Amino acid sequence: MSALLEVSEVSKSFGGVHALAGCELEVAEGSITGLIGPNGSGKTTLFNVVTGYERANGGEVRLNGASIRNASPGRVFRLGVGRTFQLTRIFARLTVAENVLVATQRHEGWLRGVMRGAGSSSERRRAYELLEFVGIAHLAGEPAGSLSYGQRKLLEFASLLVADPTVLLLDEPAGGVNPTLINQLADRIRELNRAGKTFLVVEHNMEFVMGLCDTVTVLDQGRTLMSGAPEDVRSHAGVLDAYLGAGESGESRPEASARSRVAITGEPADDPRPAAADALLELRGVTAGYGGGDILKDVTFEVPAGAITCVVGPNGAGKSTMLKAVSGLLHPRLGEIRFRGERTSGMTPGEVLARGISHVPQAHSLFADMTVAENVEMGAYTVDDKAVARARLREVEELFPIVRDRADHKAGALSGGQQRLVELARCLMLDPTLIILDEPSMGLDPQARATVFEMVAVMNRQGRTILLVEQNVRAGLELSSTAVVLENGRVRLTGTGREVLDHPEIGALYLGGAIEAADR
Amino acid sequence: MSATALLQAIVDGVLTGGVYALMAAGLSLVFGVMDVINIAQGVLIVLGAYLSYVLSVHLGIDLFAGLLIIAPLFFVLGMGIEWGLMRRLREGDRTAMSILVTYAVAIVIEGVLTLVFGIDFVQLHAPYVDSSLHIFGFFLPYIYVLGFALAAALLAGLYVMLYRTKFGRAVRASLQNRMAADLVGINVARTRTISMGIGVAVTAVGGMVFGATNAFNPNSGYDLISRLLAIVILGGMGSIGGAMAAAVFLLVLNDVVAVAWSPVWAPLVFFAALVVVLSVKPEGLFGKPPVRAQ
Amino acid sequence: MSVRPSTAARPWRALQAAGIAAAVLVLGVFPLVVSDPTLMSIAVFTLIFMVAATAWNAFSGFSGYLALGHAVFFGTGGYAVALAARDWHFKGGWDVFALLPVGGVVAGLAAIPIGLVALRTRRHTFVVVTIAIFFIFQLAAFNLPLTGGTAGIQLPTPLWSADTFNRPFFYVTAIILVLTVLAVWGIRRSRFGLQLLAIRDDEDRARGLGVETGRVKLAAFVFSAIPVGMVGGMNVYFIGQIFPQFAFDPLFDISIALMAFLGGLGTLAGPLIGALVLESLQQYLTQTFSAGGVYLVAYGVLFLAVILLLPRGVVPSVAELLASRRMRASERRRSGGAGVSGVAEPAP
Repeated sequence: MSALLEVSEVSKSFGGVHALAGCELEVAEGSITGLIGPNGSGKTTLFNVVTGYERANGGEVRLNGASIRNASPGRVFRLGVGRTFQLTRIFARLTVAENVLVATQRHEGWLRGVMRGAGSSSERRRAYELLEFVGIAHLAGEPAGSLSYGQRKLLEFASLLVADPTVLLLDEPAGGVNPTLINQLADRIRELNRAGKTFLVVEHNMEFVMGLCDTVTVLDQGRTLMSGAPEDVRSHAGVLDAYLGAGESGESRPEASARSRVAITGEPADDPRPAAADALLELRGVTAGYGGGDILKDVTFEVPAGAITCVVGPNGAGKSTMLKAVSGLLHPRLGEIRFRGERTSGMTPGEVLARGISHVPQAHSLFADMTVAENVEMGAYTVDDKAVARARLREVEELFPIVRDRADHKAGALSGGQQRLVELARCLMLDPTLIILDEPSMGLDPQARATVFEMVAVMNRQGRTILLVEQNVRAGLELSSTAVVLENGRVRLTGTGREVLDHPEIGALYLGGAIEAADR
Repeated sequence: MSATALLQAIVDGVLTGGVYALMAAGLSLVFGVMDVINIAQGVLIVLGAYLSYVLSVHLGIDLFAGLLIIAPLFFVLGMGIEWGLMRRLREGDRTAMSILVTYAVAIVIEGVLTLVFGIDFVQLHAPYVDSSLHIFGFFLPYIYVLGFALAAALLAGLYVMLYRTKFGRAVRASLQNRMAADLVGINVARTRTISMGIGVAVTAVGGMVFGATNAFNPNSGYDLISRLLAIVILGGMGSIGGAMAAAVFLLVLNDVVAVAWSPVWAPLVFFAALVVVLSVKPEGLFGKPPVRAQ
Repeated sequence: MSVRPSTAARPWRALQAAGIAAAVLVLGVFPLVVSDPTLMSIAVFTLIFMVAATAWNAFSGFSGYLALGHAVFFGTGGYAVALAARDWHFKGGWDVFALLPVGGVVAGLAAIPIGLVALRTRRHTFVVVTIAIFFIFQLAAFNLPLTGGTAGIQLPTPLWSADTFNRPFFYVTAIILVLTVLAVWGIRRSRFGLQLLAIRDDEDRARGLGVETGRVKLAAFVFSAIPVGMVGGMNVYFIGQIFPQFAFDPLFDISIALMAFLGGLGTLAGPLIGALVLESLQQYLTQTFSAGGVYLVAYGVLFLAVILLLPRGVVPSVAELLASRRMRASERRRSGGAGVSGVAEPAP
């Protein structure tokens, strides 16, 4: 098979940061190629360079032998290369069907566009077919903004297909998507591949990549580490060192391999906590939303002191909303939240912080233009005594050496995993009793993830209570002693980590099964 | 046109540029912290001029001394505008809405001024307004020199505030990541209010200097805001340093053209320069280039 | 397979059809029924603003780029017509109406270089640039000998009888209005319109999908200038003279934006309703208070009230009201047999 897309010696720097340094990649025609690598290895940058959103500083990008280096995104698209984005982008105010139609503009000038209707009957038919293909045709007339996260990903995918691209670059297509939809997506990709389309897929979800791709390329620090069949990549020593961290046993049972990847140094999770543990945080009948409607409906549960409690549930269940209600970013409409017996629902974030609750949100929350040291110091913003703040900083540095090592670097230049560690360091500055973490491992490669979980366990051993939301459900439940399952804004199940992990329905629905490797 | 005349024009431009720089800095600060473009800045300068007029003519208070009353008043006014109006804007299309809201506020203020003072032109007077410093053959009107000195001092103060004080850190943090600022205990709402207060308070100084060097009436605000907008766009929105540099540059250009060609066309070249720069560098001289995709 | 929102159900459509029929009827019959010249004059001005607001909305509402400098096109069109009438020795009467397209074309031509410069900037910078460009034109109008400076230019007065004087103005403007509305409606339904709306939601992505965003925006911008230029000419002919102050009036920019906002930015009927309400109000204020300080204060406060209290405008709010009422009705029908999720809740 000839190489349809060739990337040779490509380099790209942002100021002093070398995102890509002599990167090589070959995507064979008709293949499904996977692109993996630790956080900060340059995968999204490579996509941006190939599709024209960034200009390469050096090297060459060829499509079918012809150079497309530095071509504009529109031109690259017209040449038959389509891509999705890590953070799904859709036209929120257009309907789902209109979203798909926008992409059919490929071969016409704008002037003719004035004369023609939004879509000819054949185009509309095709749009509908594509929506059926991805399974959201029943939503064709709805405004795209009302779709759930997973549905938006499917819409973005369908919009791409309208232009009938030859090569599709998918950036984390399975990220944040409900496990059942992931299987659906994989099936669609295989179907399209059989019809002749070539795929280049970036993913952190290892089962997804290994089960789907025929070739896998590994990037590390902007360079290509190796390229080959999934089994070869899996067992390659260099890849394991740079990327997979703890030894990969290579078992086909995903649960087992997931467990072995996370180094647990805390107490064994299947020890049920003594029932007499005091509740540090209580939620009673909490109903909250963002003005449109209630996302949380009558939520009641307790977070025991000194333990790690994990909240799991599908997309849109209300996990982040619940954390925001606890930290004061959101005020519940009904019900109350009590911390150490004191009512905290309705307080400002500053007041909640003063009571000893620290919240690390899901999105990147560092001040990008400030240095790492300044960021961590900001954690003690409310402390007026500089000496006290400085002493605290020293203590935090002991636990998180990165704060000392990268003190003068701009926070925005750090990789995802490093930023997360700095965020954890910052939240410790006021010596909190309760730490709230919203998906701390999201977007991180397995090694960074392991480090983050390790630090969470360490903070817990210091005596702090942790309330954790995790999409990486197995790892989260492994780590915690108490679990709460949220679905559609309601508490479905509470128990120890083990109980929830073993519950038959929960296991199937929320933890997702492995992608069955297709018979080739 | 002689070399002396040209140099004089340049010097004048630098001096007035300094004052415009202060007012433009106020605009840039408010935009940078709050994503709000305050179209009322022009008419607020005129309001400041009128207040200086009232204090000086009816109460006999010196122009500069009067600032000690007017500036705090304006600070409160700015906070009031933020608290009463800006806060009600939704996050989504905040900037566009802020333009419309502040435009409306400008109209209201102009209306009030017309009612109170009528449309006749007035000007501020003081002993030092009408006399100049005579150095090396150049005439430096005292008012310009003093105004420039004051503006420079205030701009330096602004810089110190932003980078050396706790409040300044709160301002920069709120600008960079609002949720994180909330979570470290910063009162983001109060930070924005105070920033707007500062942004408006600086117009008091500008108003006094403007009123002393130009005849003005309630309608004068349009000319002012259009110049300030041109300055801020040229310098790059959100860049305080850019606004300062652009202010001096454009005012010098303005004064040189006035001397070399005709005072009538001077303001036009002012804008033409803006158009030229934008055609070449749409983000302004010091603005950040638009980021593509992710 | 329809691509319109599924919430557009029968009651809304019926309302729309009835509204259109009524409007056309009123347009045709109004001058025959009304004889009071003040009222007729208000009507003509209202029609003029309806055209301007609709055209403005076709660009700003659809693309999301708020242009606050369209007074440039209003004034340019006015000057083009005034100068043509004077230099080509028009007598006054129906023939001057033939000059209106000239006004539109000149305004459209002016929009090309303006658009090329202004559209290179980001959204909020764009607004400010249009304001700046507006002031340049205002300044030029005051100073260029071409425009007659502050003395202005007089237009030929048509020799029509006093009782039916306003009628030709009314009808011709009404025709321009109908044509403009049809054009905007056509754009909304076309591929071009879809691209504009996509630009409004996510311009970078639209570009990435192959939409030629630069050309689309410029085309829409130039289109929006033409009707504004035409009614600028109409405005000048109706009043009989043109001065720089009111040819290039910042309040015009604010007014048409406000009208579109009040009615509903991005909708078709919105600017029409907004212009109807606001222009009548504006005329009333002018009659009562004349263009002084009180007028300005009242207008500014009104503007603030609309922006802060009715940010979405009348038309979308009404549509939403109808939609939510329908949704609640269907929800009540469905809630009869609400099933609960089958997962059991074990005791902790």
